[in-house]
Amino acid sequence: MRKIWTQVIYHLKKDKGSYVSFGIIILFTAFMLNLALVLTFQVDKAYDEKFNALHTATINFTVSKLQDTEQLSEALGNLQGVTEIDCREAIFSEAVVKEFRDTDFSMHTLFYNIEDVRKLNRLEVREEGQSVTDNAIYLPLYVASFGEFEVGDNIVYKIGDKSHTFYVSGVLEEMQYGNYGKGLMGAYLSGEAYQKLSEEQEENLVIEYSLLTDKNSDIEQIKKEIGNVLDEQEIVMLSMSDSISTKDTRTMVCNLLILILTAFACVILLVSVFLCKFRISNSMDEEIVNMGVLKAMGYTGNMIIGSIVIPYVMVTIVTAMIGVWCSYAVLPTLSNVLTLQSGFSFALVFDGKSLLCVELLLTSVVLLFTYRAARRIRRIQPISAMRGTGEERKVKKNYFPLETTKGKTQILLVLKQMFASGKQNVLLFFVSFVLAVLVAFASILFYNVIVKPDNFMSTLSEEMPEAIIYPKENAQEFLTDTLEKDKRVKSVLQYSVVNIEIEEEAVTTFVCVDFSKVSNDLCYLGENPKAQNEIALGSVFEENYKLGDSIELKNGNTVYSYKITGFVQSVNYQGNVCELTVAGYENFCGGESSPSLYVYLEDGNDTEAFLKEYSTKLADSITNTVNYEKIAKTSQDMFSGITAMIILAIFVLTMLIVLFILYIVIKSLLVQRKQELGIYKAIGYSNWQLMIQLAGSFLPISVVAILLSSLLGIVYMPYINQFIFHTVGAMKNNMEVSVPFLMVFAVLQIVINFVISIVLSMPIKKISAYSLLKE
Amino acid sequence: MAIGKEIIISAKNLKKSFHTGDTEQTIFENLNLDLYKGDFTVIMGSSGAGKSTLMYSLSGMDRPTAGTIFFAGKEITKCKDDQLAVFRRKNCGFVFQQIYLLEKMSLMDNVLTAGALGDRDKKSMIKRAKELFELVNIPEITQKKFSTQISGGEAQRAGIVRAVINDPKVVFADEPTGALNSNNSEAVLNVFTKLHKEGQSIIMVTHDKKTALRGNRVLYVKDGQIYGDCNLGNYTQGNTEREKKLDSFLAEMGW
Repeated sequence: MRKIWTQVIYHLKKDKGSYVSFGIIILFTAFMLNLALVLTFQVDKAYDEKFNALHTATINFTVSKLQDTEQLSEALGNLQGVTEIDCREAIFSEAVVKEFRDTDFSMHTLFYNIEDVRKLNRLEVREEGQSVTDNAIYLPLYVASFGEFEVGDNIVYKIGDKSHTFYVSGVLEEMQYGNYGKGLMGAYLSGEAYQKLSEEQEENLVIEYSLLTDKNSDIEQIKKEIGNVLDEQEIVMLSMSDSISTKDTRTMVCNLLILILTAFACVILLVSVFLCKFRISNSMDEEIVNMGVLKAMGYTGNMIIGSIVIPYVMVTIVTAMIGVWCSYAVLPTLSNVLTLQSGFSFALVFDGKSLLCVELLLTSVVLLFTYRAARRIRRIQPISAMRGTGEERKVKKNYFPLETTKGKTQILLVLKQMFASGKQNVLLFFVSFVLAVLVAFASILFYNVIVKPDNFMSTLSEEMPEAIIYPKENAQEFLTDTLEKDKRVKSVLQYSVVNIEIEEEAVTTFVCVDFSKVSNDLCYLGENPKAQNEIALGSVFEENYKLGDSIELKNGNTVYSYKITGFVQSVNYQGNVCELTVAGYENFCGGESSPSLYVYLEDGNDTEAFLKEYSTKLADSITNTVNYEKIAKTSQDMFSGITAMIILAIFVLTMLIVLFILYIVIKSLLVQRKQELGIYKAIGYSNWQLMIQLAGSFLPISVVAILLSSLLGIVYMPYINQFIFHTVGAMKNNMEVSVPFLMVFAVLQIVINFVISIVLSMPIKKISAYSLLKE
Repeated sequence: MAIGKEIIISAKNLKKSFHTGDTEQTIFENLNLDLYKGDFTVIMGSSGAGKSTLMYSLSGMDRPTAGTIFFAGKEITKCKDDQLAVFRRKNCGFVFQQIYLLEKMSLMDNVLTAGALGDRDKKSMIKRAKELFELVNIPEITQKKFSTQISGGEAQRAGIVRAVINDPKVVFADEPTGALNSNNSEAVLNVFTKLHKEGQSIIMVTHDKKTALRGNRVLYVKDGQIYGDCNLGNYTQGNTEREKKLDSFLAEMGW
C-alpha cells in the first residue's frame, strides 16, 4: 500500500474536480439509500414495538349492543389461536367533523369512554391539557395532527342533525385505527361526556370485541371462525378490522416512499458507476506513458490498478458517509410527515446497520466497476505504453469525409467529433436516456396533478361531487326536484356510502341510483351494477370471484344472492368495497333507504354560498351539508404541493447529475484534446466556434436519447403509473400521457443540457493556441 | 534597404518576458522590425534566442508583453482572443515543426477544416485543395489517409497545403524541416520556394543554414534584438554566391 500511496495522491490531486463530481453523485445516492434503509429498518420495528407496547388486539369487531350475548363471549374464548379477549361498549356513528383542516370531514367514528379499563388496545397519552371538563375528548394523533386540532381547542362532531361540541383535553396514540385509510376512527370521551352521548345515541351503542391471537395463528382463519360464530348466534357484525391490513394501510405511504427512494438511488448509482468507468478509461488513455514508465520501473499491473481504484473507493467511502450524515438532517422532517399520515409517532435515530449497508453496497459496486475498467492495464506492455500506444492501435475510420459528404463543414465537424468518441457517446446516451425517464415521469405528474388535477384526484378518491346534502326523512324527492330545477345545478345523484357485511367482514358500500351518471367511474373490470340483483365488488375480492359469479350476502337470517357484474377500486378503503344500486341495497335492508344527494354544480358557482343558501332556505328538509369541493381542494392542494416538490426535486437532481457528468466528460475531453484544440485555434477557429463544436458534439446523442426515452415514455409510462398506483390499491388510473407535455419537458432537458455544455466548455477560452502547441 | 517594398508587418518596441516565480525572464525588449510583402524572411538565432516566440508574437498566435504590432496596417496587439482568431484565419497560415495535423482526420479533411474558415464555397475550396495537393506532390490516395499512416514529409507537405488553403497574406513556418530527414526536407523546402515564387510572403524560423538559403532575407536574433539583417536575393539552385554571403553573415553574427 505504501508503495502505491504516492500514485494514489497523484491521481487525487490531478483529477480533483472529477473526484469531487463523482463524490457528489455518490453523496446523493448514499443520501437516498440511507433514507430508504432507515425507514425500512426502523418504521416497521417502531410500529411493531408500539403495537406490542399498547398490547394491541390483532382482530377487532363490533356488534350491536342489543344483539350481544354471554354466549358470544364464551364462543370467542373457545376459538383456537385466540389468547386474550377484551370487550367494551362504544357508540358507532357516521359523524361529520366540523372544521377538520378548514372543512367538514365525514367519517365513521367509534366513541369510547376513556375511563373504561382496557386490557387490549391500550392508549398512550401524548399530550394532555390541565383541566378536564364534562365534555372532554381525547383525540387520536391522526385526527389531531391532520385535522389541525390542538389541546384546548373545541371540536364539533355532527351526528345526524345534531352537533356535539367537545373540548380537546388530550391527544393520544393508539394502534387500533390510525388513519383514514381504514374508514373508521376512534374518539375517546370523558366518562361524563360519554354518558351524555350514549344516552342520546342509544340505538347506536355497540360492543367492540378485541382479540389477541397467537403469533403463529392464521388471522384470516380466525376471522372466518368469528363469522361462523356470529352466524350461529344470528348476530350482525357492524365492523371488523385486523392488525395486518391496518398496518398495511398505515405504512402504505412509507413503503411507497421507500420504493421511490430506492429506485432513484439505484438509477443514480448506475449512472455513477458508468461515469467512473468512463473516467478511468479516459484517464488510462491520458496516462498511458506514465503507466508504461511505472511498469518499466517495476510496478506491477495490480499496483497500478490499485492506484487507480483506491481513489474512487476512498471518495466513495468518505462521500457516502457524508451522504448518510446529511440524510439524518431530513429524517426528523420526514418522520413528522409520515407520522401525520400514518397516525403513529416514531423517532428515527442513527442506524449503524443502514450506514454499514450503504457503505458496503456503494463501496463494493464502485470497487467492482472500477476494477473491471482498470484491469486492462495488466495486458499493456511497458514499451508500447511508453510509446503512447498502449494496446494495439485501432484502425480509425474517417467518418463524414468533408470532401465527399454533403452539408456545411461546421456541422460535419461536429458530427465527425461525435462519431469519433464512442465511449463518450455510450455514457451520454445511457445517462440522457435514464434521466429522461425521470423527467418524463415528472412531466406526467405535472400534467395530471397540476394541469388536469381531476385525473389524479379521481384515481385516488371515490365519487367527487361539489356538494353533499343529507335530506331529512321523506324530504328526498322534494329536495331532488328543487335541486334539479336550480339553474346552478348540473345534476343531482342519489348516492350514499354505507357498510354491509361480506364474508364476515364489514365492507364499505357505494349505493347509487344510477352508476352511469357518476363522475368518477371506479369500475376497472366489467361494469357497474344496473339491476337490483347485481353487485360490483372491490379489488380485494377479485382473487376469489370472477365476473358472472354469484355472491351471497346475509342480513340476519336472510340470504340475498347478487350477480357480480364488475370489480371496482378504492384507494381509501384498500379495495375493500362494493357497489349496489339503491334498489339492490333497499332489497338487502328490507326497507327504504335515504341516500344522500350528490350535487354537481355548473362551473363558476360558489359551493359554500350555495350550501349556505340551501341550509337556510330549506332547513326543514336538510339534516346536514358537506362542501365536498372544499375537501377535494384541500387534498388537491396537498397533492399539488407534494407533486411540485417531487417535480422540482427530480429536475434539480437530473440537472445536477447532468452537470456533474458533463463536467467530468468535458474536463476529460479538454485534457485529451488540448493539442487538437490548439491546432483549431491556430488555424483560426474562435473560442465560440470551438465551444459550439464541443457542446454540439454531445447534442445529437442527447437529443436521440432524450427523444427516444420520451417517445418510449408513451409506451412505458402507463406501466410505471400502473405499477405505482397498483401499490396503493388503484387498479386503474386516469393518468394521461400527454405527448406535447412529454415533448416540452424533453426539449427543456435538451436545451438545459446544451446550455450546461456551453458553460462547461468555457475553459477553452483560457487555453491559448501557443501554449497548447508549446506542450 | 527595402525601398519600394510594401511593409506587411511592423513591430515597434516589442517586449516579451515570462515570469518564473518571482523572476522575470525577458526574451526580447525594445525590438523594432519591419517585414515586407512577398519576402521569404528567415529568422535565425541560437537555441533559446526567442526566434519562435518572436514569430508567434508577430503572427498574433501569442501576445507580446509590450509594444505594438501592425499587420497589413491593422494593430493586432489590441485585439481580443476571438478577434485574433478571425484575424489569423484571414491573414495567416501556419506550418509547425511537429506538423500538428488533426489525428482523427484524413489529410484532405485537415485541409478542408481550415478551408471552411475561408471565403470560398465548398466546391471551389475542394478544387483549390486538390490543386495545392498536386503542387506539393501528394496523390489522391494519400489525401484520404490519416497523418499516422504517412511519412513525416508527406504530413508536412499536407501541413503546408492546410496553411495556404485560404490564401493567407503570410505563411509562418516554425522549423518546418526540423523533424524530417534530408530527402523529405528537400521536398518540403521546394514547396516553400514554389510558393515564394508565386508571390507568397513567408516568415520561417530555422537553425539550419541549408533551409535559410531558401529565403531572400535572413534576420539574426541575439540578446533579445534583431542583431543582423542580411539580404540574400532570391533563391536559385546551386548559387554559391548566396551561400557564401550567408556563411559570412552567420560568421559575423557568431553562429
